[in-house]
Amino acid sequence: MTTDATVKARNAASLGRVRRSAAVDATAVVIILAAAALLYVLFPGSLALFTRMVAIMMLALSLDLVTGFAGIATLGHAALFGAGAYAAGILASKFGFTDPFAMLGVGAVAGALAGIVSSVVILRGRGLGQLVLSIAIVQLAHEAANKLSAWTGGSDGLSGIAPAPIFGLYRFDLWGRTAFILAVALLVVVFVLLRVIIRSPFGMLCRGIKQDPVRVRAMGAPVYGTLVKLYAIAGAVAGLGGALSAVATKVVGLDSLSFTLSAEALVMLVLGGVGKLFGALIGTFVFIWFEHLVAAINPFHWLTIVGVMLIVVVLFEPRGLTGAAEALWTRARGGRR
Amino acid sequence: MQTVLSIAADAVAYGMVLFVISIGLSVTMGLMKVVNLAHGAFAMMGGYIAAFATHQLGVPFGVAIVAAVAGTVLAAIPVERVLYRPIYGAPELTQVLMTIGITFVIIGIANYAMGPSMKTIPLPTILEGPVDIGFRSIAAHKLFAVATGLVVAAAAWLVIERTAFGVKLRASVDNATMAAALGVRTKVVYAVSFAAAVGLAALGGVVGAQLLPIEPYYALRYMVTFLVVVSVGGAGSIPGALLACLLLGAVETTGRYLMPEFGEFFFYLAVIAIVCVFPHGLLGRRG
Amino acid sequence: MKRLTLLALALVLSGGVAIADTIKIGVVGPFSGPAAQQGRNFQAGIDAWLALNGNKIGNDTIEIVYRDLPTADPAKSAALTRDLIVGEGVRYLAGYYYTPDAMAAAPILVEGNVPMVVFNAATSAIMNASPYVVRTSFTTWQTSTPMAAVARERGIKKAITVVTDYGPGVDAESAFVKGFKDAGGEIVASVRMPMNTNDFSPIMQRIKDSGAEAVFAFLPSGPATLGFMKAFAENGLKKAGITLLAPGDLTQESDLPALGDSALGTLTTFHYAVSHDSPENKAFVAAASKAIGDPASLTFPAVGAYDGMYVISKMIEATKGKQDAKAAVEAVKGLSWISPRGPVTIDPQNRHITQNIYLREVASENGKSINKEIRTFEKQGDPGWKAP
Repeated sequence: MTTDATVKARNAASLGRVRRSAAVDATAVVIILAAAALLYVLFPGSLALFTRMVAIMMLALSLDLVTGFAGIATLGHAALFGAGAYAAGILASKFGFTDPFAMLGVGAVAGALAGIVSSVVILRGRGLGQLVLSIAIVQLAHEAANKLSAWTGGSDGLSGIAPAPIFGLYRFDLWGRTAFILAVALLVVVFVLLRVIIRSPFGMLCRGIKQDPVRVRAMGAPVYGTLVKLYAIAGAVAGLGGALSAVATKVVGLDSLSFTLSAEALVMLVLGGVGKLFGALIGTFVFIWFEHLVAAINPFHWLTIVGVMLIVVVLFEPRGLTGAAEALWTRARGGRR
Repeated sequence: MQTVLSIAADAVAYGMVLFVISIGLSVTMGLMKVVNLAHGAFAMMGGYIAAFATHQLGVPFGVAIVAAVAGTVLAAIPVERVLYRPIYGAPELTQVLMTIGITFVIIGIANYAMGPSMKTIPLPTILEGPVDIGFRSIAAHKLFAVATGLVVAAAAWLVIERTAFGVKLRASVDNATMAAALGVRTKVVYAVSFAAAVGLAALGGVVGAQLLPIEPYYALRYMVTFLVVVSVGGAGSIPGALLACLLLGAVETTGRYLMPEFGEFFFYLAVIAIVCVFPHGLLGRRG
Repeated sequence: MKRLTLLALALVLSGGVAIADTIKIGVVGPFSGPAAQQGRNFQAGIDAWLALNGNKIGNDTIEIVYRDLPTADPAKSAALTRDLIVGEGVRYLAGYYYTPDAMAAAPILVEGNVPMVVFNAATSAIMNASPYVVRTSFTTWQTSTPMAAVARERGIKKAITVVTDYGPGVDAESAFVKGFKDAGGEIVASVRMPMNTNDFSPIMQRIKDSGAEAVFAFLPSGPATLGFMKAFAENGLKKAGITLLAPGDLTQESDLPALGDSALGTLTTFHYAVSHDSPENKAFVAAASKAIGDPASLTFPAVGAYDGMYVISKMIEATKGKQDAKAAVEAVKGLSWISPRGPVTIDPQNRHITQNIYLREVASENGKSINKEIRTFEKQGDPGWKAP
C-alpha cells in the first residue's frame, strides 16, 4: 500500500534525480564547449583535423548506443556513417542541393534507414554470429558503393561537393572555422539529446534488454521492436556524423564504409569506456590525437606505439579512460571525507 | 563436367588452406572464449620465421615448418603469460582492444625488423610442380595443404573429444572454478591450449603462404576472413570450421569463376544466409 | 653606428633584395600501413634530389614536412592538407599516392594559393580538379595504351582482360580494350576481379576457357600480384603458350624478388624501370638506393618524387621565393628536362607529364630479376585525359 508520504518522497527523489542529471548534462556541455574553445585558440591551424574528429565522435557515440546500452557488439557500424556521408554527398554533387542543413538532414535520414536495415539483419545473430553479420553488412555496403561508381565515384571517391554558406552568410573557409563551429554545435545538440533519450523509459528498456532480454520479453515489452528503434536513432547519429564529414571535407571516400573505420570506432569507444557517452568522446579524442601526435614524430613506426597504448590501457584500466577518471574521482572524494 | 570438376578441385584446395590457417582461431575463440584478433599476427610470425629459415639459414622446407611452429610458440609463451591471462573471462570488447593492440605491435615489429616487402617461402621441388589428378593438374603445394588440413582436423578433433586433456579443457572453459576445485590446473590447461592454437596459426601461415603472401599487413588484411569462417562454422567446433571453410571456399571459388565482378557479394550474402539460419554457426554449441 | 647599420639594413630590405627564407613543402603519402613501401620510395626520391642538389634554391632553404596518410582516405587527406597549408604554412604540396586523396586536396589549392605536385596518383581526372595541379608520375591510360599495339604486332588476335575491380583497373581495361579493338583485335572477355581476391585459380580457369591467346592484366602492386603470377604459372597457362601482358605495376622492382622465376618473360609497359640505362638514372639510382637503405625496395614512386622535386625547385626559382601559385604553375607549363626515366615535358595544356613509355620484359641478370627495356614508345601523352 502506498501512502501519501511515500509517493511524495518518491516524487521528490525522482525530481532530485532529474535535477542532478540536468546538472551533469550542463557540466558536460560546458566541458565540451570549453575544450572546443581551447582548441580553437591554441590550434587555429588544425581545425580541419578537429572537425574530422567530431564527425568520428558521432560515429563512436552512435556505436555506444547499440553496444553500450543494448549490448550489441558490431564491427560494421561504419555502414551507417557511410550511408549518411554518401547521401549528403550525392544530394550536393548530383542534385545540386548544397544547403548544409539539407545535407545534414538527408544524411541523418539515410543513416537511420541504414540503421533499420542493418538491425533487421544483425539482430538475427547471437554473439559471434552478430559480429560476423555486422562485418558482412559493411563489406556488402562497401562493395555496392564501389560498384555504383556512377553515383558514388567508386574508388576514386565522390568529389564536387560544394556546400553553400550556412544561412547564406557563413561560408566554409580555408581555415575550417565555420565547419568547426558547426561541428561543435551539432555535437552538443546530439550529446544532450542522447542523454535525454537514455534516461527516458525507452532508454531504460534498452538497458534492461542488455541485462536480460528474456525477462524484458516476459514483462510484455517488445524486445525486437525496441532494438530496431534504437538502431534507427543510432543510425541517425552516425549518418549525421557522415554528413558532417561530407560537408566539412567536401569529399566522400569508400573508406567511410569500411571495416577498418568500424573497427577503429570500436577501439576508440572501448578505449574511452563503453556505455557512458562521454567515453565515446574521450576515446575518440585521445586515440586520434595520440595517433596524430605519434605519427608526426615518427610517421614510420607510430602503429607500434598506438598498439602499446591499447595494451597498457587494457592491463591497467580495462574499463577505459572514463573508468580511470571515475576511479580517480571517487578516490579524491573518499580522501576528503 | 570437366569445368565443374576443375572448379570443385580449386574450391576444396582453397577451403582447406583457409581451414589450416583458421583452425587455431577456432580453438582460442570457441574453447577459450577469447576473441583473438591477433591470430593472423601469429600466423604471420610463423611465415616470417619460415622465410628467414629457408632464405638466410638455408634449411629445408620441412625443418622450416618445425622451426616456424616452435619459434612462434616460444615467442607466444611470454605473450600469453603477460597479456592474455588478464583478459581470459574479460568482456569481449576488452579482448578486442587488447588483441588489436597486440596485432599493431607485431605489425610494427615485423615492419621494422623485416621491412615492408613480401617474403616468400621457397618450396621443395616435390611440392613445386603441378600434379596430375586425372581430370586436370593442380599445384602440388595445394595438395599438401589439403593433406595438412585433413591431418590437423583429425588430430584436433581427437585431442579435444577423445583425450583426458580435451575433457579438462572443456571443463575449464565451462566452469573454471569448478574445474579447479576438481583438481584441474586450469592455468596450465589454458597455456597449453593457447600454445597449440598459436602453433596451428604458425603452421597455417607457412602452408598458406603460397596463397596469402607474408608481409607486415598480413595480420590485418586477412583478419576478417579468419573471423568470418570460424564464426560461420561455429566457434570451437572442428567439424564446423571444416564445413564452413569448404562451403565458403566453394561459394567464393564458384562466384569468382561465374560472375567475378560480383564475387564479393556472393561470399557475404552466403555468410548472412548461413548465420541467419544458424545463429550460433553451422555446428556451434548453443549458449 | 648601430642606427646606421639598421638604416642600411632597412634600405637593403626595401630595395627589394630577397632575403633568405625557409620554404616549406608539405608531402602527404603512405609512410605507414600496407603501402608503406611506396611512401618510403617518395621519401627516397626526395632525399636523392636533396643529396644531389642541396636544400638551397637561390637564397631560400627548403624544408620538407611529412604527413602520413596510410590508406585511401579522402576526408583525412583534406584535413591534413588544410593543416599543412594553414597550420604549417607550407607553400607547396606534394606526394599523394592514391587518387581519392589527391582529389580531396585539389579543391583547397586555389583558396590556399598553393600548387600541388602529384608524385603518384594515376587517374586522368585529377588534372581537371584544380588548375594548380601538376603531375610527375603517369596515368594508367598512359602506361596501358601502348600494350595494345605490342599485342597486335606480336600477332595476337584474341585477348582477354583481367583487372582488379576499382578505378585504376577499369582505366587499364578501357585503355587496352580501346587500343586493341582499334588495331583490329578481338576482346573475347573482360573480367573484373574483386579487391579481396586471394585465390586466382578460378580466374585462370576463366582465361583458359575463353580461348584467348593473351591476357592483359592489371592489379595494384602488392601481395595480390604474387598470388596472380603464381596462379598463372601453376595453372599451366604459361605452358599453354598464353602471353601475359600488363602495365608495369604488376612487376614493380620491389616485388620482383618475391615473384621469382614465375615472372620471367612477362611483358609490361611502364614509364620507368630501375634498370634504365642512362647517366641521369645511374646518378639517381645511386643516390636513391643510399636514401632508401635497401636498394631492392627501390621502385617507381621514387622517380615521381625525384622529378616532382625538380618541378618544385623550378617553381621556387620562377617565383623567387614569393607565394604565387598561379605564377609557379605557369612557369613549369611546357618545362622539359632529362629525367632518370628519359626525356620528359610538362604538357602545357593539362599539366601532366609527357614521357616515353617502355616495353619491358622480366629478365634475369646477374642472378637478379629486372625489368629489361626492349622498346621505346616516345613522347606519350595521357590518352585518358578529356578537356573539361
